[in-house]
Amino acid sequence: MSERWQPTAAHSRALLGGMGFATVAVLARRPDLLVLATPLAGAALWGALLRPRVVPRVRQSLGHAVVREGDATTWRIEVDDPEGRVEDVAVVLDAPPYIDCWPAGGQTVVSLPDDGDGPLAIEVRPVRWGRRTVGPALVAATSAWGAYRWGRHASDDERTLVALPRPARFDAVAPPVLRPGIVGVNPAPRQSSGTEFATIRPFQPGDRLRRIHWRQSVRTGTLHVTATWADHDRHVVLLVDALDDVGVSEGIGGRSSSLDTAVRAAGAIAEHHIGIGDRVALVAMAAGGIRRVPAATGSRHLRRLLEVMATLEPETRRSDTGEVPPGLAPGALVVMLSPLATRPALQRAVTLADHGLTVLVVDCLPPDVATSDPGDADVALLWRIRLLQREREVRGVEEAGIAVVPWRGPGSLDVVLRDLHRHARVRTGTRS
Amino acid sequence: MSVVGPSAAGWRPLGRGDGVNVVVRALVVGVPPLAVAATWAAAGRGRPVVVVAAAALGALCARRSDRHVGLVVVALVGVNWVATVDDHTTPWSVVVACLLGVFHAAAAAFGVAPPAATWTRAMGRRWLRRTAVLMAASGGTWLVVATLDGRAGRGRALVLVAALALLTAGALWAHGRPADEQGI
Repeated sequence: MSERWQPTAAHSRALLGGMGFATVAVLARRPDLLVLATPLAGAALWGALLRPRVVPRVRQSLGHAVVREGDATTWRIEVDDPEGRVEDVAVVLDAPPYIDCWPAGGQTVVSLPDDGDGPLAIEVRPVRWGRRTVGPALVAATSAWGAYRWGRHASDDERTLVALPRPARFDAVAPPVLRPGIVGVNPAPRQSSGTEFATIRPFQPGDRLRRIHWRQSVRTGTLHVTATWADHDRHVVLLVDALDDVGVSEGIGGRSSSLDTAVRAAGAIAEHHIGIGDRVALVAMAAGGIRRVPAATGSRHLRRLLEVMATLEPETRRSDTGEVPPGLAPGALVVMLSPLATRPALQRAVTLADHGLTVLVVDCLPPDVATSDPGDADVALLWRIRLLQREREVRGVEEAGIAVVPWRGPGSLDVVLRDLHRHARVRTGTRS
Repeated sequence: MSVVGPSAAGWRPLGRGDGVNVVVRALVVGVPPLAVAATWAAAGRGRPVVVVAAAALGALCARRSDRHVGLVVVALVGVNWVATVDDHTTPWSVVVACLLGVFHAAAAAFGVAPPAATWTRAMGRRWLRRTAVLMAASGGTWLVVATLDGRAGRGRALVLVAALALLTAGALWAHGRPADEQGI
């Protein structure tokens, strides 16, 4: 279909109505019908006289390609009408689910000669994380009396909008889980090359000369050196289970599905650990296979993590086999975020712990999952049965020494992290 | 690239719209039965079924403004007028003409904006001003008709034929030109 000005039903009505009345007025000698014909014929003539001949140029743009969920950006339409015969310009933006538009429905209309194209802007606000295609906007321009219309609804005006997950509020006051690292900003449980003062001790072969504490050495007559605590980092692996998405997702401010909770919680944990200098890796099991982001730190890395999380989609074609993603660094703190809806998911946690990893499972199952569909009693009953089974299975996992905690926002993991720290301290036999 | 115009798809009924949209919709539904009622008043006789039919067609027109239901409404009002009114100079013709003008303007304006869009003040003013001009023109036509009707001139038939020829030529001109003249 070509882009051209088309006469509208209104113009046909005015033309045929006016002509018809006038014809009958002449043929039937009814001059009163000329009175009835006047408004219609006048509108038809008016519309024809101001008929546009040149199609306007339209440019559509999206203010930002990446925003946080809940933040807004603007879809802007610029209309250039060189002929000056376009009067009203209407816009309807195609918005996918989880995209709120303002004005409502993504619909707006302006008088181009009077208002200009400045008001042709639609606020676009993603209310759920994810990558979505917004647009194209249907742009319809009409001439005088709505007699002629030109429309454009082109797929090449589509834009991709990535809504990064807005991390849930999270903070952990628990001490870090100890691990045998030797670099990083956290004091290690052993003395080595570092920055934090530990003690002054006699010189040993291998000590660096610049570590010699001359005052103590002169006073005692033997060489002494300044000992420091080694710096170590923490390596946190976020293991996001997107093989199941349970519950209803209503976006920001509404109910959250299990994947919503997992992604937002993972974002919060990543933000917290990167904020204190830890290295964070992401392993996500989702549609299309396993997605990995290697461990790193820094705000740019956090952005990268969030962008990868925003592209996660639940796997719908294959069931969870309980496989463990290969290549998890030994000694890492693995935070597994999962709804634990199936037995293989729980088995995965046990397998990870068997491999010698410190595993912490964050339970992301929505608390109201059994009552989320009040219209279907059978589903509710099945969920209640499954939840009872799941409770028993989770208890079994906990008895295997794996902590399972539901996600409850700030401080969710404090108790567990403190326990893990204490166990690690006992294991390594070092300072607190 | 796919390009479709709103005339093909029509506006999607996404919302109830703002105040202006509601008024415009009410005019599209309410004016046709009013026009038929005015015809009834002019003729002193009428049939309620025609009023009901006009209201139904108006409602249909408000639902699908991109179809030619409005033309059927106009035809219904015209045929009813010819069939029932005998007085060629009755001032009720101005009333019916104004109502037809309002109906046409409302139906045309209804197709200009999506249902949930908010009209700007400039748009409202422009459409009101132009509708008022057409209503004034109807009054002027009635004055001319009423003045000429009292004079049984010899050239009256000739004037009517000339008017018919002029209208035909104007309609052919207004209907459109070949695509190569559209500047596309």
